[in-house]
Formats: sequence, structure tokens, C-alpha cells
Amino acid sequence: MIDFLAAAIRIATPLLLAALGGILSERAGVFAVGLEGMMLMGAFAAAVGTWATDSSLLGVALALVGGAGIGLVVAVVTVRFRADNMVTGLTSNILAAGLTSYLLRIMAGGGRPIAIHLTPLAAWPIPGLVDLPGVGPLLFVLPPLTYLAILGCVALDFFLRRTQWGLTLRAVGENPEAAFAAGIEPMRVRIVAIVVGGAIAGLGGAVLSLQQVGTFTDGMTGGRGYLALASLIVARWNPFGAAAACLAFGAAEAFELRLQGFGVPVSSYIVQMAPYLIALAVLAGLGRSSRMPASVGQPLSWER
Amino acid sequence: MTVLLQMRGIVRCFGAVRANDGVDLDVSGGEILGLLGENGSGKSTLMKVLFGMIPADAGDIVFRGRRLGGHRPADAMAAGVAMIHQHFMLVEAMTVLENVMLGWAAAGRLLKRSEMAARIGEASRRFGLDLDPDAVVADLPLGRRQRIEILKAVLREAELLILDEPTSNLAPSEVADLLTILRRLREQGKGVVFITHKLPEVLDVCDRVVVLRAGRVSGRAPVGAVTKAQLAEMMVGRDTTAPHAARQAPSKVDRLIVTDLEGPGLGPLSFAVKGGEVLGVAGVDGNGQLELVETLAGLRRPRGGALSVDGLDLAEAGVAARTEAGLAYMPADRSSTALVKGLSIAENLMLRDSRRAPYKRGLFLSRAARDAKARALMREYDIRAPHPTTPAGRLSGGNQQKIVVARELDRKPAALIAHQAAWGLDPGATRFVVERVLALRAAGAAIVYFSSELDEVLDVADRIAVMANGRFAGIVTRRDVDLGQIGLWMSGRAA
Amino acid sequence: MDVGTSGVTDAAPPTSPGRLPALAAWRFHAGDRLAWRIAAAIALSFVSAALLVALSGHNPAAAFAAMAAGAAGSPHQLGVALNRATPYLLAGGGVAICFRAGIINIGAEGQIALGGVGAAAVALHWPDTPSPAAAILALLGAATLGAAWAGVATAIHLGRRVHEVLATLLLNFVALLLVQQTLAGPLGQSGAGFLQSPEIPAAAWLGKAPNLGAHAGVFIAVVAAAALSLILWLTPFGFALRVAGRSRRAAAYAGFSMNGLTWGVMLVAGALAGLAGGVEVLGMHHRLIEGFSTGFGFKAVTVALLGALEPLAVIPAALFVGLLEAGSLSMQRQIGVPSALVAVIEGLTMLFVLAATVRRA
Repeated sequence: MIDFLAAAIRIATPLLLAALGGILSERAGVFAVGLEGMMLMGAFAAAVGTWATDSSLLGVALALVGGAGIGLVVAVVTVRFRADNMVTGLTSNILAAGLTSYLLRIMAGGGRPIAIHLTPLAAWPIPGLVDLPGVGPLLFVLPPLTYLAILGCVALDFFLRRTQWGLTLRAVGENPEAAFAAGIEPMRVRIVAIVVGGAIAGLGGAVLSLQQVGTFTDGMTGGRGYLALASLIVARWNPFGAAAACLAFGAAEAFELRLQGFGVPVSSYIVQMAPYLIALAVLAGLGRSSRMPASVGQPLSWER
Repeated sequence: MTVLLQMRGIVRCFGAVRANDGVDLDVSGGEILGLLGENGSGKSTLMKVLFGMIPADAGDIVFRGRRLGGHRPADAMAAGVAMIHQHFMLVEAMTVLENVMLGWAAAGRLLKRSEMAARIGEASRRFGLDLDPDAVVADLPLGRRQRIEILKAVLREAELLILDEPTSNLAPSEVADLLTILRRLREQGKGVVFITHKLPEVLDVCDRVVVLRAGRVSGRAPVGAVTKAQLAEMMVGRDTTAPHAARQAPSKVDRLIVTDLEGPGLGPLSFAVKGGEVLGVAGVDGNGQLELVETLAGLRRPRGGALSVDGLDLAEAGVAARTEAGLAYMPADRSSTALVKGLSIAENLMLRDSRRAPYKRGLFLSRAARDAKARALMREYDIRAPHPTTPAGRLSGGNQQKIVVARELDRKPAALIAHQAAWGLDPGATRFVVERVLALRAAGAAIVYFSSELDEVLDVADRIAVMANGRFAGIVTRRDVDLGQIGLWMSGRAA
Repeated sequence: MDVGTSGVTDAAPPTSPGRLPALAAWRFHAGDRLAWRIAAAIALSFVSAALLVALSGHNPAAAFAAMAAGAAGSPHQLGVALNRATPYLLAGGGVAICFRAGIINIGAEGQIALGGVGAAAVALHWPDTPSPAAAILALLGAATLGAAWAGVATAIHLGRRVHEVLATLLLNFVALLLVQQTLAGPLGQSGAGFLQSPEIPAAAWLGKAPNLGAHAGVFIAVVAAAALSLILWLTPFGFALRVAGRSRRAAAYAGFSMNGLTWGVMLVAGALAGLAGGVEVLGMHHRLIEGFSTGFGFKAVTVALLGALEPLAVIPAALFVGLLEAGSLSMQRQIGVPSALVAVIEGLTMLFVLAATVRRA
């Protein structure tokens, strides 16, 4: 049971980071469909960066840069040029997939993908809590990026509710014209939100390549970015809610892996559908949420 | 009194239109300046230029001795200019406190909630604003919301406050409260620019008045030295409206009958309109007009009630069926409901009739028929544009409305719902619309004409209803109109 | 609702409240004509691609030459490009009309895959049907399954008010898993090392043109695109779609039922996407293979955008992408530049097109 929970946390971590990044973007009024590409670029940058420099710290830093880079592309096209959020996000995902595959192959010079084999990041025990009987060694020994995700969750919530920047961001997401009249530059706010959100999502990708698998393979995010988007909507754009939702999806997937282990005669494919079906079911149950930031998806447009 | 503001030679163009054509304006502290003018006279543009929302094409602005130019709202606010917009710039999902703190450095990087709440309380008492910091804006009535804007201005120690048509959404009692607040501001030495097109208010509260017409200053005077008639003449120029032809009486038959119509924000409401009659509906905007108009047109479902046109029960009918049954509708929202700006004039003319002749032949649409019809309608309704395939968005407001009028009237409807049909139009275009409506009246249709401009309603209607709180507060014939009674009906709204 | 492509009109460049430098001031000088802007976008992305090729140490000119030769150097190569373009054209046309109506349907990925299942299932279930009835029935099966899957997404979207992007997107993953499930189960070929169906009877195969090697699906796709354009411009339904895409309120005012339009356009797009899958199975592989349509759905979005959401223009757009992909394999073989470059070119082109073609709000 405990290691089921541990597995759920492990699976949920990259989702949560991506969701946190997505919340920044969505609360500022831009649909975060590009999370998949930001995660993928982050995973790539982290793996390649660590492989090239032998420093996982630099790898993590490069993941931030990579995610932010994709974020910048999305931000410019959809905020500055006012293209549709959804389509821009999808397109940038395609770009990220192509770019990471391409770069992976040219770095070795021979056209074959470079072989990266990294030791996954070690877990850090929390002194004190780790000594709890039974629970301790399994739950309170987590790899560093997971701690970062939890801290990020708390920090984002504080940021949104209790800082001037958070207030500014939320206002741009609700009523950009009012924000403009209050002396704010909505375009700048949205762009920064998307770029920073992209960096955080890139961190989620780093979790995959540095913390879990130890390498980068084409398209390794496998749709997690979209699942993160579903989770943040299910969570009503709230960081703690997103943590709960990601944990739920993580639990669903952990459950599926357990089932396979026990040889239960349910097709693995059907069970793999669980996270997506759960996401759909929850979304269907919620309907169109009234808590959605009011101006999300609407381009900035009024007479200047 | 110190001179706060000097604007000289302000010019601003939108395409070919000179919204401001060399305007000079002075405002001092401790005075209320009225800026008077009709729609399109350039008063809002002038203030947006001052506040930094749009740049001027030419001219100088000096505020408290410093030049303001190429600036944005943040700079204007820092200099001490505050704007209270006609359409409130508030975030509805947030509280009063959060709206006040927004964009205000004094609230701190880490929001100082309790300190700010205390300051709101104090300013609220000093100026009689009566605002609760933790109230969510979406829950507040419009009169209260406006005060949040004033509160923001006052807290940020603005020296000059610009109020853009502040009373257009207020009931008469709320208007009185607002004017009291403005007098308090004047006592405290602030300068106030009061933009409006309502003469009584100007004479009530302002010290001086500047009148704009067609982008230029057409007159300046202290309020004590000028009469309403003189102001009106400065605003409008010579009387351009020819008297309408004598009217024939309506028929005896009710063509449009509404019984017990009710829905969110609406009703219960019952009325009937005869053929050849115009029922004018006056009232402050936001009292259920949009709900009623859209329910009649079929865009909203009522909770209950009945509607019939020429005896045909339309309660369950959708928009298309109602159009088919002879119910025409001209929405107030010209830009994204009545017209599709990106489509051509011809396609807009066909917007609601694409499934019948002459547009549809067999399974397909006939372009030739569509363009021929469009040319005919453009001639008949004087729609000025090079070609039927010109995108509707390129036309002037007046010509765009002509498309709407042409489309709805060409169907020879049995009944017409017109909502703010002359909104934002210059006097010539307004006259066109009114003439066509009256021509439809002469042809025997039943017309319900909604407008927030009482003068327009008085001009057009046979009977006048006043809408307040989603119901008709009263109905009178034009002959029996008493402006005092109408004012009372309009303010039937809770503050 | 503005996807990112102008249609009828290009008004003046949009004014914006931002102070950031106009990153692409060049676009104002490229002229207002839509085709020029798209051409410029393609050119710019090729320039970027050339830089990427140089980054890998290869000669961009040689790489692009190899690509061009590989794409259209011989009738056989051209046939390869046409075959690749076909499913993109079919699905892309459907996506284009959805986007025109303001409905962001990105479920083509799943609809295409299930279309393949439909075609294989029908063909394998009735192996004795003579040609051409066999192929026609199989294609009908493909279209039906694709439309049905689009219908599921539409029911969730309209019935439970879930955004259509999320509904179609999440259902893609479910669909792909369903395909794997059917290949592991009823449609699978036991004994094969990986998931695939038994070979489909030859009667159901789509004929190939001699020399060219392009299969009959090409013809079907072109006819479908022409039909879509006809519907869009010359029928009341198409008019309703175009109005709805620009303003939902105007569409309601015009008396159109948004629900009816959504159902109509989604079912058509689903059917076309299903057809794309069917054509790929019957014309190319002659069996259902796991992952046969990976990425096709997003390619459909690509060609729809490149074609500015006009079905007839999606034809050259699909051909362009088909040529790119056919050429990229040659390029990889001969010069050593990874074929993943094509995805980069496609992504960049789309982003430039999006940036260059937004209507004034």
C-alpha cells in the first residue's frame, strides 16, 4: 500500500510541475496547450545537458532554459501575433518533438541518436521524518525534483493570492482591459507568465529524463503534458487542487501497473486508458467551470 | 485656483475621421468642468488622449507644469490624473480590496491587506462612498461599482478626475448621490472633468462648460452665464431634423402580443402592439432591455409566457422560425451580432435568409442572385460602398446600420424589434434609420423601438413604455407624456 | 473565433497595446495577399532549417537538393509523395472546415486510427466480397468508425460542456489504446512479432497507378477536397459554418443551430479522417499495423493551416508536406541529415503562418 502511494507520487511529480507551469499561463489568460512541448524540450535539455557537462545541476538549469524557450515561441505567436492559443500550442508541440529528435541525432555527428545513460538522481531523505516506522523510508525519501515540485505548489499558491505580481497576473487573466486601465501591460504579463510557466514545465520534463529514466528518447513525454492540462482544469486552476488531481492520475497509473503485476485478466491497454477516462469523466462532471479565468483564450485587442 | 491642466491643439484621427480637430482645454483645481457633446463629438477621445490610452496625432498636454506626451495610463496616474470610465474597468471576480490594490505600488509587493482595507474605510467615509473592502464586485450594483473607481482615484491622490458619461447607467437617485460626491471632491480642491451629453446635469453641478461638436470646440461658458437652449444649440448646431410627415393612426388589430413573459432579470411582462404602431421603450440601459429583446427574438428561452405574431404562437419557436413568421430584429450589438464584419455586404444581407429564395436555388446558393439582390438593396437603402463584395467591416457605422436596416425591412416583416437602432450614428444616419422605421410603420407593421435616448423615443413612438427592473413601470401615449413621471418610472430601480 | 488564417479579407495590420518591438515587421511589407504571406512563411522556415542543417555540419544546399530529388526526382518518388499526402489531405480537409466553423477538432489522430480498424475489420470479416465492392465497403466501414468516434467527442462536448479541444485530445489516447486492444485481440495475427492484423484480401486493396505507384486514395482525396470546398462556399450549411467561425452570436442571430452545425461538421470531419485511415490501410500496407498513423492527426492540422483553411488550397499544402516527407528519407540516406528535420520545418512553417495570417480582432 505504501509503495503504491510512493509509485503514485513518483508518477505524479512530472505532471504536477507541468500543471503548475500551466496554471501560470492559464491564470494569465492563455490556454496551456503547449505544455507537452515544453516538457519534452525540458527533458531533452536536462538529459543532453547533464550528459555533456557531467553536472545534473546544469542539466536542471538547461531544462528551465529549454522549457522557457518553447514558452517564448508560444508566447510570441499567440500573444504578440494573436494567433489562436490552442493551435499555437499544438504547433509548438510538433516543433519541439521534431527539434528534440533532430538535435539528438546530429549531436553525435553520425546521424544516429547519441546514447545517453545517466544514473537517475538519488533520493534525499528528510531527516526526522524518514525515521518514521514503515512509512518513513518509503515516503520521505524523495528525489530532489519532487521536493521542488511540492515547494513549487506552495510557492505558486502564495504567489497568486498574496503578492502584487500574482494579483496582476490574475487581473490580466480576468479582464485585461481593466488591467491596462490600472497601468499594467497585459501583453508583457502574459508573455512572462507563459515563459516562466514553460520553464517550470521544462522542469517536469527533467523529472522524466533525469530522475526517472536516465535518458532521453523521442517523444518520451507521451502525452503527459495534455494530462497535466486536464488536471489543472479539473483542479479549477488551483495549485493545491492540481497536486491532488495529479496524484489521482498517478494513482490510476500505479494501479494499472499493480494490476499487470498481479496477472489480473484485464487487458493492459484498457487499464492504460484509465487516466484519460478519469480526466474525461471529471471534466464531464464539472461541465464548463465558472472559475475559469474570464479572458482565457481571448486575444488582446482594443484601440491603442 | 491653480491651473492643473492645459491641453493645446489636440488632434487625433481614426482613418478619415478627425475625432479631435485642434482642441484646447483648461482645467483648474477646485472646479468641475463640464465637457458636453453628442455621440461622436470627440469628448471621449480627448479624455483617452489625456489619460494615455491612445496617443494624440498632434498637440501638447501640460499637467501641473509637466508635459505629458507619448504616455500610457500608468504615467498619467503617476502624474495625478485619474479616469473613471463609462464602462467600468473592474475585475468582477475580485473584491473591492483587490481591485483597489491592483497596479498600485503602495499596496506593496507582498500585499498589505489589512492596511489597505483600513485606508479604504477611511476614504470611503471621507467622501461618502460607503464601500465594503471584501465585497466581490460582481455582487455590487452598478452605482456602487462606479464608486470603486472614484475610490481608487482618491486613494492614489489624483488631482484631476475625469468622469466619462458617469450617469449613463445610473438611476436618478444614484445620480443625485454621485453629484454630491463630486461636490465633495471639489471642496477638497480636486479638479473634475465631467463628460456628458445630458444638459440638466451640467447645469446642476458644473462650474464651467466646454462644448464639442464634430471634433472642435463650439463654445465655452461659465454655467451661470448660459441657458439650456444655448448649450443645446452649441451641441447640435442648427436643427437638422426635418419634421416627420403627419402620421396616420394605427390599425385596430394587435399584431404582436406578449403575455406574462418572464425569465432571469425579466418580467413578468405583458403588452400588445397594433399594426402601424410604434411602441417606444425608454429606460436606463441595463434594466432588462437586452433580456427582453433577445427573448422576443428567440435568442433566449423564457421561464414562462407567450408570444404571438399575427396570431401565430411563437413561444416554442427558434430564431429561424420567428424570422420566417415575420418577426424582424435589429440587435444593438452591431459589431458581432447584427453583422459579421469579415463577411461581405452581400453575405451580410443574406445572413438570416440564406435558406430561402432568392439566395438558395435547389441545394446550392446562387452567387449571381445574391449579388444582384445586394446591388438592388444597396441602391434602395443608399448603402455607400464600392461593391457588394466589400467587407462590411470597412464601412462606416452609418452604412453598417443601413445593411441591418435593409436586411430586416426588405423582408416586409409583420413586426420589428429595434434595439438601440441609432446608437453611435451621426444625425444624418439617425434620421435615415428613423425614417425607415416610420415607413415600416406606415406599411402596417407592429414595431417595438428600444432606446436609452429618451429624445429618440419621443420622436418615434406612438406609445411610450418605460422599462425598469425588468418590467414596464408604465405605458403612456405620446400625447400624455409627462417627463417628470417618466423620470420617476425610470428610477424605479433599487439603489 | 480566429484560428490564425484570414479568409476573405485582410484589413490593416492590427494595432496592439504592447510595447515589444515588432519582431516581424517584414510581414507588413510582404503585401496583404494571403498567398504571399504563406509563401514567405515557408521560405523563412526553410532558411531556419538551412541553419539547422549547417549546425549539423552538412551542406544545406546539398541537403535540400537531395530532398528535392528524393521528392520528385522520378515518377516513382512522386508517387511516394502523393501516397504520403493522401491521408493528410483527407483528414486535413475535415479539420479545415472544423476550424472554419470555430471548432478546434484535434481528434483526427484517433479518428484516423479507428478508421483503419474499420476498414480492416470489414475487409477481413467479409473476405469473399468481390472488388470493387470490397474496397468500397471497407472504406465505408472506415468512414463510419471515424465519424462515430468524432460523435463520441461531440456528445461529450455538447452534452457535458467540455471544451472540444480537451474532449478530442483525450479521446485520441483512448482511441490509440483501443486500436492496440483490437490488434491484441480479434483483429490480431497470432505469431507475428508485433501487433498487426492478417493481410487483407486483395479484392479490397486500392489499385495503384502504373509507373507512379500512387494508389486510388489520391483520387478519392482530391474529390473529397473539391466537394468540401463546394459545400463551404455554395451551400447554406457552408455559409452557416463560415458565419459561426467568425461570430457565434451572429450565427445564433442568423438562426443557425450551433449544436446542429457542430454535429454536422464533426461527423463529416470524423468520416474523412476515418477514410484517411482506411485509405492508408487498403492502399499502402494492406493490413492494419500498430502505429500506422502516428502523427497523422497533427499533420492534418498542419496542412489545414498551410492551406489557410480552404479545402482546395489544402491540396497543394498536403502535396507540399508529402513531398517534404518523401524527400526527407532520401536526404537522410544520401546526406545523413536526420529526417526529423521535416518535423521542424513543418512546425516552424506553421508557426510563421500563424503569426503572419491573423485577422485584425
